[in-house]
Amino acid sequence: MTSTRPSAALQAPADTRRIGRIRSETISTAAIFVLTIILILASRFVSPALGSWDQVDTIITLASFLIVVAFGQGLVILVGGLDLSIASMITLGGVLSTTWNGSFGSEWALIPAVLVICACIGALNAVGVIWLNIPPFIMTMAMGIIVASAALGYTSGTPRGAAPDAFLALMKGSIGSLSAVLIFVLVFVLLAWTLQSATAFGRRLYAVGANREAARIAGVATWRPIMAAYAISAACAGFAGMMLVGYANGATLRMGDSYLLPSIASVVIGGSSILGGRGSFAATVGGAILLTTLGTVISALGMDQGWRTVIEGAIIVGALLLLREDLIVKLRSAR
Amino acid sequence: MSANADAAAASAPGSNLSLAFRRGLTDGAGVVAILYVILFTLYALWDRSALTASGVTNLSNNAAPLALAAAGESLVVISKGFDLSVSGVVSLSNVLMATYPLEGPGGALVSLMICLAVGGAIGAINGVLVAILRLQSIAATLGTMIMCQGLALVIMDAPGGTVADWVSYTLTDVIFGVIPISGLIVLAVIALWLVFRRTDTCIALFAVGADETAASLSGISVVRARVTAFVGAGLLYGLAGFMLSAQTATGNPTAGTPFLMLTFAAVALGGVSLTGGRGSLVGAVIGAATLMLLQKVLFSGGVSSFYTGIFQGAVMVLAIVFGSLILRLASTGARA
Repeated sequence: MTSTRPSAALQAPADTRRIGRIRSETISTAAIFVLTIILILASRFVSPALGSWDQVDTIITLASFLIVVAFGQGLVILVGGLDLSIASMITLGGVLSTTWNGSFGSEWALIPAVLVICACIGALNAVGVIWLNIPPFIMTMAMGIIVASAALGYTSGTPRGAAPDAFLALMKGSIGSLSAVLIFVLVFVLLAWTLQSATAFGRRLYAVGANREAARIAGVATWRPIMAAYAISAACAGFAGMMLVGYANGATLRMGDSYLLPSIASVVIGGSSILGGRGSFAATVGGAILLTTLGTVISALGMDQGWRTVIEGAIIVGALLLLREDLIVKLRSAR
Repeated sequence: MSANADAAAASAPGSNLSLAFRRGLTDGAGVVAILYVILFTLYALWDRSALTASGVTNLSNNAAPLALAAAGESLVVISKGFDLSVSGVVSLSNVLMATYPLEGPGGALVSLMICLAVGGAIGAINGVLVAILRLQSIAATLGTMIMCQGLALVIMDAPGGTVADWVSYTLTDVIFGVIPISGLIVLAVIALWLVFRRTDTCIALFAVGADETAASLSGISVVRARVTAFVGAGLLYGLAGFMLSAQTATGNPTAGTPFLMLTFAAVALGGVSLTGGRGSLVGAVIGAATLMLLQKVLFSGGVSSFYTGIFQGAVMVLAIVFGSLILRLASTGARA
């Protein structure tokens, strides 16, 4: 995915370090996908029903929520932050899209309205982080608590209403022999990867994350990429909430909870630095699919919930150890 | 403590008293302590029972488990790391206490040892993963947290069981009629911290948290400092699980889940820098006490339980903003 540009071969030797880094990122991305494919193939031993195309389709559908959320989380982590508000933003997206469904005129007004509201709340996170100097951890956690409480109060504890038709079609429909969500995931990943890795905006994100002061001196208005990252993250979470509502045809107040830690885990398993400035979305997608595959394979093992959870944790640690960057670099230099 | 030293050095010309005052304020613990006093005054105004011995004991029993967990977390955060395993260790010690209740003071001691051993072992695993195998702390401890939660579910698949009577009665009781035992245990941990703060290991902890490369170049063993932080944190989580069991008197395999967010909130509220190298365990303890008190204040103030979260979030943000404002005022005051 992150292939070196054609001109790289012509560049001065001074740039080799950068080429080296890109290659090691490519290798780690490939390693995650290989690990995932091995896991899917190995799952045939667990149950003959697994390892089929249908299972891949199911995994992509289940992973789609995490992929969308992890993109936003990844951007915030890239600029040196952390977004703990996404669980509540998922719930907010789901709750607003169901409660306002039908009373808001057309869906094509409702969906953008929900996304804009989410993005504004994300921008508010950025205001706290940039100008009030509140640690991102605290700002987004507090915002998460506030939004969750507002959603609870607004719905009096029981969210009502049905999912917008567009999201029912997205999550349940199919185009030809392919499910609609599979195509959506492909398009989303392509667009998101382009935004992060092939635009000037994306390069500013990396610059701000790697060294905010240096980026400022280099002439980047540092608040813009940071605010954009938080706004996109919140909008992605809101969108994922609407996808979840389309999948389950209804909102619950805790529907976002199970996506917070996995969103961070996907980004970190994908090799991004939790401190910002480093990482690629392709690897994050790999991380998200790996985690989801792990979940479905383990749940087919037919063991107690407890042991399944223990194995899940052990495999996460194992995957982290396998995908360690210095290990990959070592392998490369040994070759 | 490096920041304190800086602040102290900067305000050297001032008198001793104003120096101590400024130092108290610039240390995050000072700010959150003021917040605690304000909240306690409100609470006492709204609910007269707050000032009785049983009111104080209630507050102390309520806050002790979170305070101990936050104390542990502060060690890891000071050395520039995140430890998510806190919720796993608390759940695990809680189900162990409820599944194997051991009566009498001797039994309580054995139970305490088991909790500490579990916490210490998990802490050691975290330490090895982070310091030696060089995994990112947030990811490695996420893995160990999930494993601990799984083990807690293996031991007890649904809430139930009973904690030994001796533990649940004695540890939530008072001595001399007024002093809650849970408070004494937290004070003992603070006393240990004040001793630990004077050791080379603790200075290494702060140095590693502030700048790992510089610390390692000046001959500090980064690995030792990190492992110490994680093991110390694990021991305190075990103790937190022990005290939580005493308070709830029953077992729940997900007992530790609420601790995950709350410990970080307490640590940050207590003025410990989440980017490492600055803060104190005392601040984290007061931060935890403030969070628990805040819930009581909102309840006694008559806020609808639907909307308590809005106030909690707002108070957290305001406290941090207020804290950094005071910090800035105090440091400009010192420069003038």
